[in-house]
Parts: sequence; structure tokens; C-alpha cells
Amino acid sequence: MISFEPTEEQKLAQSMVQELAGSSLRAAAREADDHAAIPASILAEIWSTGIVQSQAASDSDGGSRSAILNALLIEELAVADAALAIAAAAPMGFASAIATLGSEAQKKSLLPLFTGEKYHCAGVAIMEPDFLFDVSAIRASAIKTHNGYRLSGKKGMVPLANQCSHFLVVAECEGAADAFIVERGAKGVAVGGKQPNIGLGALQMANVSFTDVALESGARLGGASRCDVQRIIDSARTALAAIMTGISRAVFEFVMPYTKERVVHGDALAKKQVIAFRLADMRIETDAMRWMTWKAASILEHGGDATRQAQLAYSYAVEQAMWIADEGVQMLGGHGYLRDNPVEMWYRNARTVSVMEGAVGV
Amino acid sequence: MIDFELTTADKEILALAHRQAEIGRRYAEYYDKHEDELPPAEFPEASGLDNPVSLAEEAADGSSGPRILHSLVMSEIYWGGMALHRGKWGLGNTVLKTVATPEQIEKWKNHTIAIAITEPGAGSDPANIRTTATFDRETGEWVINGEKSFISQAQSADAAMVFSRFVSPDGSRGMTTFLVEKGTPGFSVGPQLKKLGIRSHDTCNLLFDNCRIPEFNHIKGDFKSTMSVFNDSRPMVGAMALGVARAALDFTREKLGERGIKISYRGGLRSRSAVADRFIRLEAAYEAALLTVLRSKWLEQRNAAPKVEASIAKAAGGKAARKITQSCIEILGPEAVSEEHLLDRCFRDGRIFDIYEGAGEIQRLIIARAILGYTARDLR
Repeated sequence: MISFEPTEEQKLAQSMVQELAGSSLRAAAREADDHAAIPASILAEIWSTGIVQSQAASDSDGGSRSAILNALLIEELAVADAALAIAAAAPMGFASAIATLGSEAQKKSLLPLFTGEKYHCAGVAIMEPDFLFDVSAIRASAIKTHNGYRLSGKKGMVPLANQCSHFLVVAECEGAADAFIVERGAKGVAVGGKQPNIGLGALQMANVSFTDVALESGARLGGASRCDVQRIIDSARTALAAIMTGISRAVFEFVMPYTKERVVHGDALAKKQVIAFRLADMRIETDAMRWMTWKAASILEHGGDATRQAQLAYSYAVEQAMWIADEGVQMLGGHGYLRDNPVEMWYRNARTVSVMEGAVGV
Repeated sequence: MIDFELTTADKEILALAHRQAEIGRRYAEYYDKHEDELPPAEFPEASGLDNPVSLAEEAADGSSGPRILHSLVMSEIYWGGMALHRGKWGLGNTVLKTVATPEQIEKWKNHTIAIAITEPGAGSDPANIRTTATFDRETGEWVINGEKSFISQAQSADAAMVFSRFVSPDGSRGMTTFLVEKGTPGFSVGPQLKKLGIRSHDTCNLLFDNCRIPEFNHIKGDFKSTMSVFNDSRPMVGAMALGVARAALDFTREKLGERGIKISYRGGLRSRSAVADRFIRLEAAYEAALLTVLRSKWLEQRNAAPKVEASIAKAAGGKAARKITQSCIEILGPEAVSEEHLLDRCFRDGRIFDIYEGAGEIQRLIIARAILGYTARDLR
């Protein structure tokens, strides 16, 4: 039955994360971007929300894994800062892929990594550092060997690559996409230096190369049978749509009071129709983006085929979030161009997030 | 719990509405080409068939709710282009029920009442209307003079709810509403307007030439309450717009399929042709706008009709319909402009929804004022 009502627990979690995001996380964002590093204390605050740990909760002990809840909370984190949201959504993507698609052995050995006291990261490595990369044509490849696989290829834009204990690498195997669990320390795995990008500097994104990495057969996600790799992509697109919704909301909430205060030609900027209408459109599109994300998340949560909706939610968010961030800068005029204000960072983050496919999940 | 699945009860009603819409489509084509003919109140195929709007409004437990279902049923009807059961009530009826006295409601409870606000010189700005009612103290009647334009259900309605300026016996002036019954001397209906689209819709101008009506016909509502009737019709218009948009998308998907082009949602931007990418973005715009309609109707079911969300739904639906009905033709190429095929009518019909019942610009004014905390005087 059609309903937009979060559960009481979801509302509680949402308001708790919103409060944390609005206070310490938003305050830490600029410095983290400038220094290309997230302080351990901030990672600890993110960890304290329990959002990553919930992915590892097993169904038998009243597992609380919910793609809808994840989308709600990722949006709240992204309102504070997209990079910090990804610091949560990256290990979430890994853990939820293991929890939904992994074999019993894989769940048993990997999920506990995310239940400890300290922040723990692992990466979903889909994107490759080639122009015109597309998820439909993965170049990384895994060749079947007598006792497992041999993986070679290069992955790019892996958040906190240096801190990841494992990578879930999507690679082509015997003609189709497959996913492999690889330890960072395995022979042949090389985490490159941090690749500065337009945005998301705090995540120290890096390339990771795999050169003839020997994997046991148990490294293949799902074990004996090939896993539904498309679901990992659907989950990533949904999480990215949630992040873009958060960025959009941040822009909208920031520029609105500015336009009411700023006086141009004798009146508040917000009283000029073109500005007022753009704000109205920001509101329309942020709402629409959110519902699209929720719908994709709800299909994922119920185990349905979310591919179409995840694609539509993602594509819609890509277009609208970039427009909103762009107009947000414009509304602040010269001030929008200065790093003294956050909109230029949100503009950079919007462009960066909106070209990603992978790295995160709900 | 957040959920977007239709229930079995929802699907049954919508399937029924869809079957009727398929029949309606043939009539839509006919009346599109015969704009001076008024469609009957009910088509022969409708006799014995449940009215899907009634089924939606009576929707019980096990459905997503009457308001949500009503909007989805309207969307189906507009997908087809012609309702098999013509709606008996007009927005004028809603005004009556909202602001009239019990005696007035009783008197006109079986009349179909068209709403008459717009004039040739006043559309988005009702404050600009010139129709004036002056009180004749000798006869105790109001004398109305003016012209209303773009009036829906003009020919078929039994009466019109006329928005008018007034001049009171004591000299006070203002804006108010009057109910004028058909057949009242001085009240005439012009010919069917020649429109770009929705040519099957009954749309005429109304002329008031020293039209005399008794004081009893003075419907005294405050302007705000009267205009509040649009809060639930706005998302409805969004739903109707999306019905037309979906017809265009379905047709386009079918034609793409006939040429072996199947849209895949799996890959990224660089895996698809320009045509496929465009189509996916149109589908996204459709789904996004539809969700804003559902959001508005869901809120309405829980409480009162929400002002901002209603305008969001209308603005989003109207914009999506314009974009989708235009772009589908580009995708399919020159054959798509032929009057023999569906996209011609979708293109022409699809253009109205961002204009009538509150143009997209007005919706954005409403939204902007609400989010900025501005009055109409602050933001014009």
C-alpha cells in the first residue's frame, strides 16, 4: 500500500543522525576537504550512529538491515557533507553486499569486521580509471584457475582505499560480471597514491591495481553460484541518489536565508521572481529526488528487481542535483565563488558524486 | 512503513479503469476531430460498467486510499483520452459545498456547476477580473455584466459559479461569487473554443449581459476558502497530465521495440544510445512527478489537502507532460507527427496542463511564498 510514513524507529534514527550531522559533521567538512583527511574523531562519530553496524546485524538476532532506513540516514549525513556520508556509505555498501549476496561462510567471516568499537572500512570497487568507463563494460577480469581465480585490473575512485581491509571487486569472469572479495594486503594488490579530484577530497580516493592476484574459490561473492552483480550496482545507484538528495537539500537550505537577507536594487534577492522560482524548483526537485530514492530503496528492501527504479532515481538525481548546486552558487554571486562559503564545495561534490557508479550502497 | 506497492485492490480498480480507457481512446480520437460535438454523458459501452472514479472514492481497507486511487484513476482516464462516464460535478460544486449555506446547497445539489473565474483579461491574476455585479435596490436583484473565458463544462453544466466584483447597496465593493443557472435571461454560452488540444473538452466563453439574479444566488464565501478548492484539484491535474505523458511513453516504447530497440536500465550513460538515454530521462521525469502527486494525495488522506505539496504536484506534472509529449516525437522522428498516430494528440493535449488550473508560474509563486514565508505583497 502506498505510504510515505517512516516507522517510529526510522524517525528516531533519522533525527539522531540529523542532529549529529548538523553539529559536528557539518563543522568538520571544510577542514576535512582542505586537508584531504577525515579526523579519527569524526570517523568515530560516524561509527557511533550504528548505521554501518546495522548492515552486519544478522536476521537471527533481530537484524535491522533496512535499505529504506539507510537511504534516510545517508541523506541526512550528506546534508552535512557528501564525503562524510560516503565514509559511512562505502563500508555500508560492502557490508550490505556481503549480507545480501554472500555465502554463509563469507557472512560469517566478514560481517563481524563491522560490529566492533572502531570505524572499519571496506570498499566496493566497480569504477575503473579510464575515460568513458561504463559499468556495462568492466575491464578488470578474473580468470578461473584450478583452485580459484586470478584477478587483474585497475579500479579507481576507491574511498579511503588505504584504510580498507577488503575490496569487493567487480570483474568480468567467463563472459559476465562477477564480484570478488580481495584483502588489501593480498599479493598483487597495490593501493595507489591519493588521487585529488574536484570534490570529496576528505575521502583520499585512490586507484587500486590488481596484478595476477591469486584468489581462492571462496573469494567469489556468493560462493558456488554467481551473485547478482546488478544488485550491487542498483544498491550503489540508490545510495548515490540519496547522497545527491542530501547535497541538494544542503544547497537549498543554505541559499534560502541568504537570498532573504541580501538586498539588491532596494529589495531582498528572494523577492525577485527568477530567484524565487528557482528556489521553488529546488524544493520541487529535492522532494522528487527523495521519493525516487525511497522507491528504489523500498524495492531493494523487499528483495524485488530494483534495476529500473535505481537507474531512474540515479539519472534523475544526477541532472537535478547538478542544476541545484549550480544555481546555488549563482544565487550567492561572488560569495558563491569563495571557499569561505560551502556552496562552492557542494558544487564540486555534486559534480563528483554525480559521475560515480559504485563505491557505496544501501 | 514507506512503501510504493499497489495493493491487489488498487490493481483491480486500476485494471478496470485501464480497460475502459482503452475503449475511451477510440472516442478520444473521434472527438479530437469533431470539436463542436459534445460527447454524451455516458457512452454505450459504459452501461453496466462500474465507474472507476466511484470505485476509487469508495475504496475501502486493503487499498492505498480513496484520494490516491482517485488520482491514479484520473491518470488512467487521461491515458485513454476520454472518460466513458462523464464526471457529473464541476469545481463549482466544490465551491458550493465549501462556502454556501445549507439552503443553497440543498437547492442546487443536483446541478452540475461549472466554475467561472477566468476572463479574457484575467487568468493567472483573478484580482484583475472585470465582471461586476451591481445591486438593484428596487428589485432586490444583482445585475451581472461581464465575460468569462475558457470555462470548462460550459455547455453541459446546469449552472455557473461566477466570480465577480460587486458593488453593494451601501457602496462597498469587493469580490464574491454568484450562482447563475442556465436559462437565466442575460446569461449566454458562446460556441466551443478552438483549442490546440483537449478538443473533446467542453470549453466555451460565458456572456453576462444585464443578467439579473436574486440575492439568494449570492454565494458568500471568503476568497481564501473559495480558492482552497484548488488544493485537491491541483495534484489531480498533475495526475491527468501524467496520464497523457504515459500514453506518449507507452507508444514510444512500443515503436522502439518494433525496431528492436529495448531499453536497458542496467548499464550507465555511456552504454546507451542517445535515443535510449533520452527515453530513460523522460521515464525518470514521469516517475518523479508521479511520486509528487502520490505524496500530495497521501498527505491529503491523512489530513487536509496540503498547499505546497499540491502545487509541487501540479508544477511537476505539468512540466513533465510538456517535456515528454514533445520529446517522444523527437525520438521517433518525422513519422511521429502524423495525425494517424497517437503522439500528435498527446503533444497537443499535453500542452494544457502547465497552463490551466493555475499555471506552473503560479504554482511556483505559491511554493516560493510558502518556503520563504512571504505574503502575496512580498512576492508578486
